[in-house]
Amino acid sequence: MNFNSYSLTKIAKEDKDTTYDLFFGPNHPGMHGNFGYVLDMVGTEINSVRPNAGQLHRGFEKLMEQRGWVQNLTLVPRICVMDPDPNEVAYCMSVERIMGVEIPERAKYLRTITLEMSRLTAYLLAIGGFGGTLGHYTPTHWSTADRDLIMDMFEWLTGGRVYHIYNIPGGVRSDAPEGFFDKLLEVMDALEARLPDYDSILFENPIVHKRLKGLGYVSKEDARKTGLSGPNLRASGNAYDVRKDVPYAAYPYLDFEIITQEGGDALTRALQIRLEYEQTINLIRQAVKKIPEGDVRLNLGLLGNLKVQAGEAYEKVESSKGEFGYYIVSDGGTKPYRVSVRGPSLPAGFLWAQKHLPTMKIDDVAAWMGSLSICPPDFDK
Amino acid sequence: MFNINSLEQQDNQDKLWDKVINYFRKRSLWMLHYCTGCGAMELPPVMTSRWDMERFGIGPMATPRQADILLITGYSSVRTMKRIIRTYEQMPEPKWVLAFGSCTVNGGMYWDSYNVINNLGEYIPVDITIAGCMPRPEAILDSMLKLMDMIQAGEAKAFRKYKENYAYYKANQDRLFMERGPVLESAALRYVHEETEGGEA
Amino acid sequence: MNRITVETLLQDLASRGLNGEKISEQQIKVFASKDNFVNHLHYLQTIGFEHLANINGVDYIAENEFEVVYQVYSYEHKIHIVFKVRIPREKPVILTVVTLWEQAQFYEQEVHEFYGIYFEGNKDLSHLFLENWNDLPPLRKDFNTEEFSEKLFGSKRHGGGK
Repeated sequence: MNFNSYSLTKIAKEDKDTTYDLFFGPNHPGMHGNFGYVLDMVGTEINSVRPNAGQLHRGFEKLMEQRGWVQNLTLVPRICVMDPDPNEVAYCMSVERIMGVEIPERAKYLRTITLEMSRLTAYLLAIGGFGGTLGHYTPTHWSTADRDLIMDMFEWLTGGRVYHIYNIPGGVRSDAPEGFFDKLLEVMDALEARLPDYDSILFENPIVHKRLKGLGYVSKEDARKTGLSGPNLRASGNAYDVRKDVPYAAYPYLDFEIITQEGGDALTRALQIRLEYEQTINLIRQAVKKIPEGDVRLNLGLLGNLKVQAGEAYEKVESSKGEFGYYIVSDGGTKPYRVSVRGPSLPAGFLWAQKHLPTMKIDDVAAWMGSLSICPPDFDK
Repeated sequence: MFNINSLEQQDNQDKLWDKVINYFRKRSLWMLHYCTGCGAMELPPVMTSRWDMERFGIGPMATPRQADILLITGYSSVRTMKRIIRTYEQMPEPKWVLAFGSCTVNGGMYWDSYNVINNLGEYIPVDITIAGCMPRPEAILDSMLKLMDMIQAGEAKAFRKYKENYAYYKANQDRLFMERGPVLESAALRYVHEETEGGEA
Repeated sequence: MNRITVETLLQDLASRGLNGEKISEQQIKVFASKDNFVNHLHYLQTIGFEHLANINGVDYIAENEFEVVYQVYSYEHKIHIVFKVRIPREKPVILTVVTLWEQAQFYEQEVHEFYGIYFEGNKDLSHLFLENWNDLPPLRKDFNTEEFSEKLFGSKRHGGGK
């Protein structure tokens, strides 16, 4: 007698009526944000999937047409809660490109530092997310506590813990307070000292390896063609990083290599985050070392009435999840004519969900989502 | 064996009993794990070691059927509102709603958005509103302590309002969710494409 | 494949009948007509522009036209193309590019939802984000979001003050 033929799945597959719809999210502890998949299930296996998006849709692109150029800076960071600074920088870069202005050197370094700090917070959340979705809560508690070290630094620098609104067209809002960089380096040392702990509990944990190995494989060509970006793309063996390819802020002055790996599965993507985390700490140290003296902001007149000449530009920034792009059209007025946001999560959240999930079991969905760093607010907008 | 002599005595006993119940109730609150908006970002620090809400007896709960507190973490879009109401109605009484941030009061920075509700209190009763965008973890903890005080004093009774004024809430909810025609007259300008067979005319 | 520069790319495209303009050293914008833009996108794909970052609409209400913008990038040449196609506002119909890029399915759904532009050949143009929506597609310039919010959610300018 064949044992498999008596398992629930096998019996159910013969009977079409036993498929059922399972709403994975929005109210689900394994779900990242207010988003969901409607899974058509047979037993614990997924047959097909329908993304259930739109719970976070606020109509940002419409609202940005109603507000002034600088007012919009309060809106843009809210497009990605976990990693808000890339939005500010991409928006400001686009505006500066249309205006044809170059920001001061010190502002470029300060932007780089905030971008990388923001990346660290997002990676720490991702590490916590890996733990949480695999039912392993220790890294979640650790990483949330570690993340707060950077949040405190952000609060000191910008006044805000989560949303900073530090970058403005023409540079950054204000210079770093005295003693900030010394303290920042101390925090970097503390975070680096924590890495062996994370390694032993998560990244070298045989159970985690078993769970994630082979899950959600993306081949090199597919990753390029389907619009994946950021760590997901690099974990599939593509050496592409906006920081290197279309350099912005102070990245051309910093020394770093693009980290690539060949695996293409969830485990490789987890390790990719681990490797880039280390690189980020290194980048912050370099930027703090090299930061020049000088102004932090161009004088663009009264910012409340800022007028941007007619024109258009698409500028992108490498966030912790991939390429954030802002396409801005200006008609020369005090408000943008059109702002279109390219969020990094859409190809993974929609397209790869339909490719990957039908081969998976329900247990793996949360881990799969975490590994592709799907952040729903950036496609819901 | 209680010997109940008069209604007055009964009332006094009930009050005493309520006090005891409320005391224990406020010490074990289960908070529903539903991040409706960006305010959820400040919950991990509150839940874990730095602010540690568990020292006040508050823990996260995955299912609405066993939860006491519903946190509305920020703006809610029309679609989220539907899910919030469904969640709220599933929760057993007594239940409390904490609304996070300015966007739950008057829409906050999304006040003129076409997809974000403005005043959460029109759709479900709210016990405590926390100001700020986003509120700091201290503010969240403070509001929870305030809620505990209100429970002890027997003041946190917004869920009763929902039953008493159900028609009001239901009418507001229906305005969003029932089949309706266009809201603005400009909808007449809509273009509806009809597929033509054998190429475009 | 050799890396091409913005100038040679613009020349190449001009020889194929596409007008373009330089925005920066790594970015150009290109204007295509709605009749043969899919061929041009396909050509771009074959010479290395394989990354479709986004598709978005722009409503030029004064010129009575919609614009569909394809954001295309090449990993080899490190050039970004803002590929623009204009279509009339009265009859906003354009061909789909799902056959070239799979993820275009969702971008087109999004543009359809927010602009009411129809993508011929795209089988599923259902709404991704909005529910119970009977008004104009919201990102069109003639849709007034403040008035909508006032009528449906009772919003007030300045929170009702002043």
